[in-house]
Parts: sequence; structure tokens; C-alpha cells
Amino acid sequence: MNETITADAIASSHPRTAEAAAEGEASRQASAIEMQGLHKRFGRATVALDGVDLTIEAGEFFTLLGPSGCGKTTLLRILAGLEEADDGRLAIGGRDITEVPPHRRSVNTVFQSYALFPHLSVRDNLAFGLKMRGMAAAARHAKVDEIADFIKLGDLVDRRVDQLSGGQRQRIALARALVCEPDVLLLDEPLSALDAGLRSQLQVELLRVQKRLGMTFVFVTHDQDEAMVMSDRIAVLNGGVIQQVGPPREVYEHPANAFVARFMGHDNLYPVTGRQGSRLATALGELTTAEAGEGELLLIRPETLDLLPGEVAGDNHLPAVVVERLYRGSHAEYRLEVGDTTLQATLNNRGRHLPEVGDRVTITVAPDDLITLSE
Amino acid sequence: MAYTGVMPSARSRAMVREARHLLFTVAPGAVWIVIFLVLPGAYLMGVAFMTNGPYGLPEMPLSLESFKRLAGFGFLGWSPGNLYTLLRSLWQTAVSTGLVVLVAYPIAYYITTCREKWRPIMLLLVVVPSWTNQVIRTFGWMNLLAPGTPLSGLAEGLGLIAPNMGLYPSSFAVTLGLVYNFLPFMVLPLYAAFEKLDTAQVEAAQDLFASPVRAFWHAVFPQTLPGLLAGIVLVAIPAFGMYVIPELLGGGKGMMLGNLVATQFSGGANWPLGAAGAILMLIATFIGLFAMRRIGKRLGGGEEVVI
Amino acid sequence: MRKRTLQRGLTAFWWFTLAFLYLPLAVVVLFSFNAANSAASFTGVSLRWYHQLMGNEEILSAFANSLVLAITSSVMALGIGCLIGYGMYRHRHRKLGWLIVLIYLPIVLPDIVFGISEMAFFVQIHRLTGLLQPGLGTMIIAHVTFQIPFVALIVYSRFVGLDPTLFEAAKDLYASPLKRVVHFMLPTIKPALISAFFLSFTLSVDDFVISFFTAGPESATLPIYIWGAIKKGVSPEINAIATLMIGAVAIAAIMSLLFSRRRPA
Repeated sequence: MNETITADAIASSHPRTAEAAAEGEASRQASAIEMQGLHKRFGRATVALDGVDLTIEAGEFFTLLGPSGCGKTTLLRILAGLEEADDGRLAIGGRDITEVPPHRRSVNTVFQSYALFPHLSVRDNLAFGLKMRGMAAAARHAKVDEIADFIKLGDLVDRRVDQLSGGQRQRIALARALVCEPDVLLLDEPLSALDAGLRSQLQVELLRVQKRLGMTFVFVTHDQDEAMVMSDRIAVLNGGVIQQVGPPREVYEHPANAFVARFMGHDNLYPVTGRQGSRLATALGELTTAEAGEGELLLIRPETLDLLPGEVAGDNHLPAVVVERLYRGSHAEYRLEVGDTTLQATLNNRGRHLPEVGDRVTITVAPDDLITLSE
Repeated sequence: MAYTGVMPSARSRAMVREARHLLFTVAPGAVWIVIFLVLPGAYLMGVAFMTNGPYGLPEMPLSLESFKRLAGFGFLGWSPGNLYTLLRSLWQTAVSTGLVVLVAYPIAYYITTCREKWRPIMLLLVVVPSWTNQVIRTFGWMNLLAPGTPLSGLAEGLGLIAPNMGLYPSSFAVTLGLVYNFLPFMVLPLYAAFEKLDTAQVEAAQDLFASPVRAFWHAVFPQTLPGLLAGIVLVAIPAFGMYVIPELLGGGKGMMLGNLVATQFSGGANWPLGAAGAILMLIATFIGLFAMRRIGKRLGGGEEVVI
Repeated sequence: MRKRTLQRGLTAFWWFTLAFLYLPLAVVVLFSFNAANSAASFTGVSLRWYHQLMGNEEILSAFANSLVLAITSSVMALGIGCLIGYGMYRHRHRKLGWLIVLIYLPIVLPDIVFGISEMAFFVQIHRLTGLLQPGLGTMIIAHVTFQIPFVALIVYSRFVGLDPTLFEAAKDLYASPLKRVVHFMLPTIKPALISAFFLSFTLSVDDFVISFFTAGPESATLPIYIWGAIKKGVSPEINAIATLMIGAVAIAAIMSLLFSRRRPA
């Protein structure tokens, strides 16, 4: 990262058109996004969005997370103006843009396929948005150089698009969107086509760029790990409905419902068969929770469990047998049998004893870590 | 920002916009083709069912006169002239299509056995002559087959033709011209079929059937059949309606349906009769297209029309 | 052993077929340089038939007609066909069977049916309204009709080969509808447009049958002139015009091919 360039330096060093400059200051301070009652159908049967109300704060790295077909991409496309909502309202920076066409929105997108123009050089790709806005050639050139420096594109700027690798295309696509200084940057699974190593490297880079520029980023992904790494807040979608909105920790540790829990990777979900105050009856046995929830499912996160050797009696102590152990170096993943039910547990490898397959152990869990959910 | 109740459906507005876009882009060309081809075609079909007027122009009342005349029933009783022309067209089409297959099949196969980088160039070499004007190509054959040329001399020497007759005009010259004209139309689809040939099947067949002839018949031929059928359609349909080649190389006795039709619109002047002949060609075309669609469906892929 | 014999046989057959394909054209080109007025014996190299061409008013006017016809019709077909091609692409998810039938109609219709339909129709319209007098105008109409489908299909297939998100990227990057056409669509399909233009040009110059039936007395093109000359009796002069046309068409066709091949990877 080039430490000398700050978001303010970039913002102030680029003269905009008179109209945009007048509006620019206001929108830069207040480019929050408000969505109200967004509905979208495709054809007769397919409901993509079924009433989405959502507010994204200015300067936030916000992620839309969900399985394919959950409506996250549709929502992003509505923000970009590439899709029109059947019903509902959308405002960016306090201005209603529900019916504003994409080319008049101060919103730019990094597309999943990158969508670099094959008939243009990298430089002309980068300058495309500025040119369409009517910026003079010399100013465009200076700005492209600046962004190329900022994203560390080096000599890529003078290459042809078909000479670039996937990672390079990704960075060009990002630079092409950023150079326009949009109020909001939309990213449609921008890293999904890259291999794992490059992907995590670019995740970090993307995060740094966002923090430095203070721009509002709306990021779409189906990968919950990626969402947790990157986001200030996450919205989990399913069936065109927002299931939960919150910071990564909240979504992961306190999923609003069983769908969110499963999507965040939780498998230890057990129906509550009876309850008395904070005591719950489940297939695992009786357990005590800190708060008497209403939900009919009990969630036990694998990493909150501890395993004691042998049989130890006590509250929230469950006798179990190790069925499977996956040793992963930093930690070990266990599959345990409790009566007729199985349970996953994760133990950090702190050098102490790790139970072997076949060992009889006792599972312990703190009442604080037990949460009940609804389906 | 307050939600302001029901707004005019964005959906229906988008549909109207899309429909307008479709209209704006497609309408000029579609209307053009309708006015300048569909309407004329419909008019021509109507003409076929009208009566021949004094200057060869169509008149009322409607009648089947023209179709009767095509079948040979004229004012002076039955005369086979038109029927002969029809049969000759069918015969020439069949013979030339067969010969084209015989030449194109080994050529298409041969191209696929050559190095990959040469194949496009070889195909190009086959196609390039068909880019020149048909009249000029046919004129080239007139030069080659005229009396006194080496080819005619050779034929004379072999006793195939009478002295000083030359190889044209004749039915043979027409067949030759047709084969020459349509060869690329057959090579291209056959080449496509050979290129997709599953060689594993051929090798298996060579293991199973001792004789190469049987291996060919059981493993190679069925795989090239779709290309072959497509080629036959591409050759036979335009051959049946050919005008230039029989006109220049055929002489009076080489006349085909195309010449019969054309004559009715110029010298002979009997529009309804010519239109009736055109309808026969249209029927042949639609049979061919239908066959092509069936082949396309059997291949399971999109039907590509080879141009 | 037998396989090699087969391969040798095929090689021989290939060269024989090539000779068959090029012999008529070679004869035309060769005899255009013949000093003698003969189609049977070549007596010496001379440019006399080319000189004779230059002084022939009829040929010069036929040449001019061919050129005007080919250029005018190609430009018109390019505009109309390009729109259809884009429309077919943009609305490819709709059921456009009727449009496909309409587009393929000019391609599949036998030339002679095409030609006489238009001729009969134009003649009747002219009798009724005085419009569409046979001449260059009617020929241009007819040529545009058979060129439109080729342009449309070339443009369509170019669009289909593009990443559909490019259209969205252009919108996203502040390009208004007009700017999208000027700065994105036209530059992107430029190779297809050039290729389509040359193909249309070639088709127009190549056509005889349709031109023949839609032409008026003053609007003979080169193929029509050649046809008439052949009907009057073979003259070596025809070889010279034919040679020039072979050359011109070959150049146009090669240009079309070059531009259709050159696509960004």
C-alpha cells in the first residue's frame, strides 16, 4: 500500500464537474443506503426479493451473504440500477434513486466476470467511466495514473486486456470502478474465480483499500468465511428475505434462526423436546442455559465445548465416545456419540492431551454458550 | 424517506420499454423483408392460380390451368414438353447430387487426415472458386468444353461425341456444371461430420470387423450420415431451381425447371405458368428445409445453416 | 501398406479435384491475356482485350452500376441488418421463431423464385402506382433484401460471443444509451461490421439471377453485361472483364475473412 495517499488526498485532488462537485461533498459525507420494501419477481413464479428493508451506513463494508438464488445478487443489481425493483424504494445519500438509470447513479460495480472491455487497452478501460462523465483527456490521464499507483498496478496499465491473468483482471476491474469515486462500490463475488492463495491476499488488499478510502462497499458472496473476514456487518438472505443483519460475531455466535446457523456452518442443532425454566430436554440429555429462550432448537457451537477424559458427573456434563478425529494442527475436529446422537466439537491444540478415537470422554459446556433458535 | 404507497408498476413499464426496443431494432428489417419478399412471394403464389392474359400477364378468373399445363395438358391436347423439363430437372438434380457426393466424400475425409494447420487453408481452397460469379464460372466451362478445345478433342478421340460438336451444349455439360458449382456445399458439412468423428469407434470396429469395408460401413458411415444428409439438402434444393448453368451449357435440350420458369417471365410470357413452376420449387425448398430441421434435431444440437 | 496406398490415392484425387475447381477460372484468366481472338489456342501474351474494355462505354457503365449497386445496398443492409442482429441478441430469450423464419427466408429461397417474385411484384406496383420503375432502385431493394440476413447473423453471432456483463459495465460506468452505442457497441462489433460489409459487397457483385430479373434497361451490371455478351457469342473481351471481377471478388472475400478471423482472445 502506498502510505502517502489517503482517501482525502484522492478525493480532493480530482476536480469533478461543477455539478458533481457541488453535490460531491454532501454525498461523500452521507452516502448511506436505504432500502424500503424492495420486491422483485422474475417471470411469474420466481420471487427474487420479497420485501427487503435494509439500511447500510456510510463508509461501511457491508456484505450480502446467502446461498445461490437467495436474492443477494438481485439486490446488488437493484442498487446498481441494472435491475428495476417491482416495488419499493431505494435511496443513496438521502436521494431517492429508485428510478434513476444506472449511468446516472454514483455507484460502480466490480463484476464477477470483471467485464473488462476487450476492444480497449487497460488504460482506456480504467478511463472509461471518467470519459463517459465528460472529463477532459489530460485530467483522465492523471487520474488513471494515480489510481494505478494506488492499486499498485505498475506496468499493467499499458498491457492489453487479453494479456492479463485472473488476479490482474480483478485488480483492474476494482481500479476501474474506484477511479470514478462512486458514493457506493458494489462487488459481485469479485474473488470467486480466483484460487485460494490469491483470494485471501486480495481479501486483505480489498479491505485495506476500503478502510483507506472510507467508501461504502457492498459485497456479495456465498462464502461465510469471506463474509466474516471482510465485513463490518453482514446481511444473511434466503428466499428473497433478510434473515439477519449484524456484525460478523453476532451473526456467527447468535444466529437469528436455524437457517442462519446452518449457513454459518453450525451442525450441532437439536430439537428441544421439553423445557422447565432454563432447563432443556434434548436428545443429548438435559442441559441448562443461561437465558430461557423460546426457540425450539438448541444450538451448540463446536468450539465452545470442552472434553474431559473419562466420565465426570456434573451439570451440563454429557458422557460421550469419540467416533472420529480430524487432526488439523492448530486444532482438532471431533465427532462424538452421545447416546444415539452425534455432536461435533473443536478443540484448540494447546499442547495438552487430545482424546483418541474410541476414548470415553465427558463433554462440558457453559450455560452462556447454549442458545435456542427457531426454525 | 417515506414509502409513498403504490407506484405505477415498474414491471409493466419495463415490459413496454423492452417491447418498444424490440420494435425499434427489428421492425425496419422485418418490415423490409415482408414488403419486398414475403408480399412478392405471396403475390407470385396468387398468380399461379390465375389465368394467362394476352400479354402473358395474369388475369381473373382463378384457375388451375397453369398446373395442368405443367403436367402437359395444353390447348392442343397433351404434349410432354413441360413434363420432360420437369423430369429432366429431377434427373439432373439426382445425378449431379450423387456425383457431388462421390467427389466430396473422399475429399472431406482427406482434409481431416491432413495436418490441423493446413485444414482451414484446404477448405478455403475448395470454397474460393464459388465466390466468383456463377456466370463467369459457367463461362469458364464454356471455354473448356467448346469445339476444338483439348477436352473436346479428347472426347472426340475416344469416340464419345461426333466430330466438331464440342462437349457443350449438352446434358453432360449441365451435369458437369452443376457438380462444379455445388461441390463446396457438400464438402463443408461432410468435413464437419468427419472432424467430429469418434475415432475410438473406428478403432473398435477395426478390431471387431476384419475387413476395412465393413469397418467403414459400420463405424464411419453412420457417423457421417447427418453431414451427408445436410449436404444433400444444400446441393439438391438449389440444383433443382438452377437457371444459369442449364441456360448457358444446356442448349434447347438441356432446359430445366428454372429455365421454364424464367422464360415465362421474359420471352414466352406466361406468368401464371411460370408462377406454378416457382411453386414447385418452393415445395421442394420446404421439403428440404423440413428434412434439414429433422437432421438438426437428430444431431441434438443447434441447427447451423452452412452458408 | 494398404493404408499408404489409400492415402496416396486420396492425395492424387485431392490435386485432381483442385485442378477441376480452378481450371475454368484459370482458362478465363489465361485467355484474357491471349493475343489471338480465339478460345481454343493461345498464341501470345497481350493486353489488347483490357485496352478494348477501357474504350467500351457499355462496360464502363455496367461497372459503375455494379459499384453503385454493391456499395449502396451494402451500406443500407449494414444499417438495417445491424439493428436486427442487435435486436435478436437483446431479445434472444423471447420466442422469436417468426423472426428467424423471416431472416432465413431470403437465404433459402431459390434465386430464381426470389428474382421473379420481386420482378412480378415490382412490375405490378409500377403499373398501379408508377413507383418502383425497374432500374437501379429496384435492384438495390432486391440486393438489400438478400444481404440483410447475412449482416444480421454476423452481428448477432458477434454479440452472442461477448460477455453479457460488458453491456452492464458500460451502463455502470456512466455511459448513456447513445454513448453505449458509440463508445462500446460499435467499437466492439467493428470487426463483424467490416466483415459483414465485405460479405454483402461480395454477394452483391456475385449475384446475377436476382439482378437480372429486377434490372431495368439502363441498369445492367457487369454480370448482366457478361451474360448478354455470352448470349451474343463468346468474345475474348469477356475473359478480361471476368478476370477483373475474379480479382475484385477474391480481394473482397479475403478482406471479409481476415476481419472475421481477427477476434480478441
